[in-house]
Amino acid sequence: MNSPERTTNPATVAADVSIDAFGLTHVGRVRKANEDHFAIVSLRKALQIRQTSLADAAIIEAIRVPEALLFVVADGVGGRPGGAQASMTAVTALVEYLGEAAGCFNSFDVEREHEFLEQLEAGVRRAHDRIVADYENEQQRPATTLTMATLVWPRAYLVHVGDSRAFYLRKGRLRQLTRDQTFGEMMVEAGAWTEDQAKRSPAGGALASAVGASDITPSIGLVDLETDDVMLFCTDGLTRHVSEDRITDVLQTSPDAEEACRRLVDAALDDGGTDNVTVIVARAVQGNARD
Amino acid sequence: MIQKKVCMVGLFGTGKTSLVQRFVHSRFSDRYLSTVGVKIDRKPVALGGGEITLVLWDLAGRDGREDITASYLRGAHGVLYVADGTRRETYEQLDELRTIVRDAAGEVPSVLALNKSDLESEWTLSSADEKALASKGVVLRTSARSGDGVESLFQQLAADMLRAGEVRP
Repeated sequence: MNSPERTTNPATVAADVSIDAFGLTHVGRVRKANEDHFAIVSLRKALQIRQTSLADAAIIEAIRVPEALLFVVADGVGGRPGGAQASMTAVTALVEYLGEAAGCFNSFDVEREHEFLEQLEAGVRRAHDRIVADYENEQQRPATTLTMATLVWPRAYLVHVGDSRAFYLRKGRLRQLTRDQTFGEMMVEAGAWTEDQAKRSPAGGALASAVGASDITPSIGLVDLETDDVMLFCTDGLTRHVSEDRITDVLQTSPDAEEACRRLVDAALDDGGTDNVTVIVARAVQGNARD
Repeated sequence: MIQKKVCMVGLFGTGKTSLVQRFVHSRFSDRYLSTVGVKIDRKPVALGGGEITLVLWDLAGRDGREDITASYLRGAHGVLYVADGTRRETYEQLDELRTIVRDAAGEVPSVLALNKSDLESEWTLSSADEKALASKGVVLRTSARSGDGVESLFQQLAADMLRAGEVRP
């Protein structure tokens, strides 16, 4: 690849499952600047015994909180100035907020789980508020998509705004976890357009909801993962060029998350690379990476 | 604000998502998109001078490939079962679904929605079937398309949770 790329590669463990995660972004073959951003972040409450008189220190080990992971991709809205700034601000604000407010959640207690979901949504709204505060003039205000998941094994909590996407692959079946928040999708939902009309109309791809835009409607969901599941988060620079069949093939046949990311980005570039392309792949692998 | 978790449970294509969309957003779409995982929405409901927020967990429906994921049911305060009056298997499998729910969430208030009442001419459900279902709990006819019975459905469950001592607004 002759364009600069930014990568990160944290790996983590939850119980006896490790997460092989990797992210990659590329400017593409047409655009002059990359307005996408991504982050893979570990959320961890550390508990380390410095000294103890306890005979059985394993008791304390037992209450050690497992690591959680945050995955986020953001795509600065094309056609508006400051798209790259918007996606960077959104990712930064979100990570800051979750670092401050959410901490590390590891309970299925219903009250706490609902609070946690509210905090995730609040993090997206903080990102929105920060962009709004930075740009007083609404007409000049940039916007961004934001698709994020917080993985507290085995549960992945998703918050989504815009038309970036989250998928998961289980036993060879790729399922899309998010629905595009575009004008075209909205019209199809309302029965006013066919899916073909939505694809062909120039207005079909316009975002109906975005961080920093006048309308923001975060969509919230979750999925419980299993060992060998693979999650994919991507901007539309991937999905407008690479079919779901091809994505499935890459995710199934790549030996690790890094290889999968590189092959997916290459596939988008080979098909024209008309947009910035960003992918995060996270594989749930049996076994503890620290063993 | 008191929040209560309500799980939408049923076979695929019975209209669980459509009922939530009608109740929360007052809209309906003919397009069918199967739910993946859980989609979560919230809506406050006025009850007895107070207000509680229903946190609606719209679970992927049971289909030939995947069953209901029991872990999603944990901690539910109430369950809305949804069956499609035009598809016999959707109400014939209710007893199995009730067992899955009971094992995961215990005995919690529930209401059964016999959905797609706007297609009554196509119903396979007989009055005897409906009586048999009613003998096992509260049953309401609903249409996510027209909105008939939808508000009552969620209000009924909220009231049942209140009566069961689950909710004190």
